[in-house]
Amino acid sequence: MDYLIIGNCAAGINAVEAIRGRDQKCKITVISDENYPAYCRCLISNYLAGTHQEENLLLRERNFYKDNSIELILNKKVESVKPENKRIVLSDGKELKYDKLLLATGSSPKLLGVEGEDKDGVFGFRTLNDAKEISKLIPRTKKVLIFGGGLIGLKAGYALKQRGIDVEIIEKSPRILSQVIDNDSAEMVGRWLMENDIKIRTGLAPKKVLGNKKVEGVLLDNEEKEDCQGIIIGIGVRPNIDLIKDSKIQTHWGVITNQYLQTNVENIYAGGDVAETTDLITGEPTINALWTAATEHGRIAGLNMAGERKKYPGSIAANSIDFFGLPIISLGYVRVKENGYEEFVRRQPRMYQYKKIVLKDKKLVGAVLVGNIENAGVYLALIRRKVDISGIKDILLEDWFDYSKVSELLEQKEGFRETVSLQGDLVKMA
Amino acid sequence: MERCLSCRSCEIACAVEHSQSKDLFSSLREEPRPRPRTKVERDTKLRTFPLQCRHCEEPYCIDACISGAVSKDPETGLVLLDENKCVGCWMCVMVCPFGVIRPAKERKIALRCDLCQEREEPACVTACPTKALFFGELEEFKEKFLERKEISSKVKV
Repeated sequence: MDYLIIGNCAAGINAVEAIRGRDQKCKITVISDENYPAYCRCLISNYLAGTHQEENLLLRERNFYKDNSIELILNKKVESVKPENKRIVLSDGKELKYDKLLLATGSSPKLLGVEGEDKDGVFGFRTLNDAKEISKLIPRTKKVLIFGGGLIGLKAGYALKQRGIDVEIIEKSPRILSQVIDNDSAEMVGRWLMENDIKIRTGLAPKKVLGNKKVEGVLLDNEEKEDCQGIIIGIGVRPNIDLIKDSKIQTHWGVITNQYLQTNVENIYAGGDVAETTDLITGEPTINALWTAATEHGRIAGLNMAGERKKYPGSIAANSIDFFGLPIISLGYVRVKENGYEEFVRRQPRMYQYKKIVLKDKKLVGAVLVGNIENAGVYLALIRRKVDISGIKDILLEDWFDYSKVSELLEQKEGFRETVSLQGDLVKMA
Repeated sequence: MERCLSCRSCEIACAVEHSQSKDLFSSLREEPRPRPRTKVERDTKLRTFPLQCRHCEEPYCIDACISGAVSKDPETGLVLLDENKCVGCWMCVMVCPFGVIRPAKERKIALRCDLCQEREEPACVTACPTKALFFGELEEFKEKFLERKEISSKVKV
């Protein structure tokens, strides 16, 4: 059996381990368009900040591929997939055969779509190469403009600030982190960042990138000119599905998968940022492009490719981030726009403490925690298990809220993962 | 669970065991201050018990860790954190359904129970004056539990 895995990050590596765990003899090939063994993509901001060296970013030991008899093909892009004859075509024209294929191609940064975007000094922030290129620029850089006040943009800005660069975040919408947290907490985080000398301007977009060959500045849509020596684009990502656009594999935003992470073609699976799965809260198809989700996708898709029938329960939007010592966690559905939701908030703006929970039909569907994030996972467990919390909603925002207050509620529910209950019995834990 | 008096001796023993000096009085002056990885919690029926990492079969924290710092020891089954690799992103804090992984207040690392790898028996178990804590395999606990015909403690597996 020939297993082929396109993508060498969280989903790819976990799939490899799952397959190898079940089948020691099969052939496994991993293809990556980057030139590195698998690394922790989320840590490229630590690399840029100078707190991590390249060596510290490795996701697995150096000899992982050798020990697991994996053929690793680096620096090659997959041009197209031909499900009819179970082959893929590489950028150099070479074809490879497979029996089972995993699409873990990830996503790419969206572009600004303005004139001058191709100048030297304009970067996405997705790969180790991006971080390296930006690093090289630092000695001759005073100021960097970052377009996009989402997680990627802010992480890049935080990293550059640690290197002593002037950072300005420019966000099109009226506030930062608009896809991640709610208005109130975003305002608090914005204030915290500005207090730590990161400039934030909202409601602005670029019109033109200025300079000859190198970036020298930007013309904004309010006709204002800003000088800068570098630009980072963090306005979102799009799944890498170009390689299958002419094939019979069905796509929507990403690759459409069923509950076994299988595509409409039986021997082709998908996982990670490219896979469209069911959202656990809404039940709608979605892409939750998260490290946690990618890891789980990889493992489950890998097991299923190797002959198991393991269901993927669905993904949940959940993010954790820390800027200058202020932790921020967002879980599930937090940006309420419609009726039918109940919100409970506790805020201490001067202390940078914020807690909010969102309920629907007596169930917890979302939470935002800023400052004190202890027990965040207990909220996530309540969301995941769709527990009726109407009896305890008054204590959910208290600082003394913890697992013991909901242990009975949680243990009543059948879940997916095995663990040990307080009574010492093996229970299924979602 | 009936035996726990909520004296929090386990918390103190845990903090001391994870200090540099491993001595109660010297550790009080240490920087960063030693912190416990176990916490006595009180449920809605006012029963108290110490709670720490359950070392889950399929741990959420391993999936969530962005730096590869959390791993499961293939031999012992313990879920352990490499503090040198931990970057303090709090992803594990975010996903732990028991809320037993906590951010260290002075350091950017997550704190979690390692069942006192260097000791024969975890410090919290040794410290418990009422023997509410038991250290051993689940089967062993069940046997003892059946023998004694009493609810005695919480299990660590």
